[in-house]
Amino acid sequence: MGGFEDDEPPSKRARASSVESASLPDCFLFSKSANPLGSTMARPLPSQGKEAMVGSKGVIKKEEFVRIISKTLYSLGYEKSGAVLEEESGITLHNPMVNLFREQVIDGNWDNAVVTLNKIGLQDVNIMKSAAFLILEQKFFELLRNDNVMGAMKTLRREITPLGVNRKRVHELSTCMISCSPQQLFLGFSKLGIDSSSSRFKLLEELQKVLPPTVMVPERRLENLVEQALTVQRDACYFHNSVDGLSLYIDHHCGKDQLPSRTLQVLHAHHDEVWFVQFSNNGKYLASASNDKSAIIWEVNEDGELLLRHTLSGHQKSVMMVAWSSDDCQLLTCGQEEAIRRWDVKSGKCLHVYEHPGIGLRSCAWFRDGKQILSGLADQTFCIWDLDGKEVDCWKGQRSATTSDFAVAKDGNLIISLSRDNAILLFDRETKHERIIEEGSTITSFSLSEDGDFLLVNLVSEEIHLWNIRNDPVRVNRYNGHKHSRFVIRSCFGGSEQAFIASGSEDSQV
Amino acid sequence: MGRLFLMHLDGNVYSCKHCRTQLGVASDIISKAFHCRHGKAYLFHKVANVTSGVKEDRMMMTGMHTVSDIFCVGCGSIVGWKYEAAHEKSQRYKEGKFILERYKVSGPDGSQYWIPQDPHLGGSDADDI
Repeated sequence: MGGFEDDEPPSKRARASSVESASLPDCFLFSKSANPLGSTMARPLPSQGKEAMVGSKGVIKKEEFVRIISKTLYSLGYEKSGAVLEEESGITLHNPMVNLFREQVIDGNWDNAVVTLNKIGLQDVNIMKSAAFLILEQKFFELLRNDNVMGAMKTLRREITPLGVNRKRVHELSTCMISCSPQQLFLGFSKLGIDSSSSRFKLLEELQKVLPPTVMVPERRLENLVEQALTVQRDACYFHNSVDGLSLYIDHHCGKDQLPSRTLQVLHAHHDEVWFVQFSNNGKYLASASNDKSAIIWEVNEDGELLLRHTLSGHQKSVMMVAWSSDDCQLLTCGQEEAIRRWDVKSGKCLHVYEHPGIGLRSCAWFRDGKQILSGLADQTFCIWDLDGKEVDCWKGQRSATTSDFAVAKDGNLIISLSRDNAILLFDRETKHERIIEEGSTITSFSLSEDGDFLLVNLVSEEIHLWNIRNDPVRVNRYNGHKHSRFVIRSCFGGSEQAFIASGSEDSQV
Repeated sequence: MGRLFLMHLDGNVYSCKHCRTQLGVASDIISKAFHCRHGKAYLFHKVANVTSGVKEDRMMMTGMHTVSDIFCVGCGSIVGWKYEAAHEKSQRYKEGKFILERYKVSGPDGSQYWIPQDPHLGGSDADDI
């Protein structure tokens, strides 16, 4: 304060100091306060804040970046942190007019809010009118709820209608004023909250959607951008097989080592070839079917090791396949052109034997409700049985090959079967609608995805086709590389979210 | 081995004499006037439950042909061959067709075919190897 003379009267000095403070720039005043000898020092160097772009690629506008960070801090409840960031960066989340506008909306100061809206400087008249409409609509409802019918009518006639937008809504408001009881008011217009406060916050969100994002930063903008980045990373992850959530600390990547490729355990219990294996739906058990006429239930222990739990004996022929009930409490096994047996998984006891006089059975499947089973017979017939062995329904197929896979999907309404050597029939039992998948060569087996929307089809031509059967069947992919010449080769879905397929091969590989 | 993928045939079926795997039906026979090292052979329009071996050129009575042996999927025994290509234009009708050796298969009535004493007895028009 070297400019002042010490001989001035005290009252004179105080007034002069006040005048000088009012005229000084904020930053200079701040600097002077911090350094009493500021007049003798150079001005601060231009700060890094002067640069317009950030990021290694120079595509991020700094002001936008800081504003969405401020927005995130406020929405996370960190009011003080948000304010400090605005002050320190010199970048305000909203300009003073917008802040005033927001306060007026929250306070229910409708008339002044509309006035402030006009001062914000929007270019688009339609946006202005839409925003004004939302504000005045809120005013209308609050007046009506406070039984101020005259005020509501005045607002509708003199303020809302002249806007000339959303005429249909204006008619609804008129009707509401005439006939709505308070209960109808609350029920009919659910956008109103229990009290004015929450409905006003909702109004503010609506206004944010109407106004340009440069005026009011959209809600959750930073969260949306981060989620987009994570989604792109996961979609680009070629071997994605991760059950953990994605982390922000590192870019997401599943290596090839995520896929199983090492032999962890060799199971020795069958006395002949194993022809079929299937995990239970919950993954706790594995069932294996063998040429030695038995099936085995293995239990997966806490270390992921398989332990023999039950040996299921009784079949007179090789066991060709197994099928788990949807609750994993029961297991079906099918002897080769022989019979189907139903077993209790917990005790390993045979609960029932299903046979057809003179004709062997070839395959089996459960209905989801666990009350009926489906079987394919050697004479190309399909039968539905109840659990007591009574035949419920029967129909004829046309397939010559000795495999007759089928699956039951959509809670039992959709039956998928190999109807001919190179065709699969999708039959909706409710609508009686039939859809056909036609292949260029003989089908040896197929597998249904967990959600029932995709089908994996193995062909003798050493190809595997993936079909989307959600609506009309569409082949979406084709795979090859495995060997197939003499035997039944199967494939299946696997991995997290069933994003991979695995296939057997006659060259002893998977 | 593994679970065999087998096609079921209806009608008058010729099957493997060793393991009884079904190989062809009589209605698919084009000609019974063929010969092989073991006697009579039948030309089939198509067969089932066989695998093919490697292609090789063979000189037959009717000229050079490219053929591949066919094997029973059940027991792996050789049961005939497939004509892949015929080098003589007059023999092109055989391409894509199959020969089953009568000695290697059981007939529809279970009949067996015995090797005749004189291998030269038989039609002069047919192939021989």
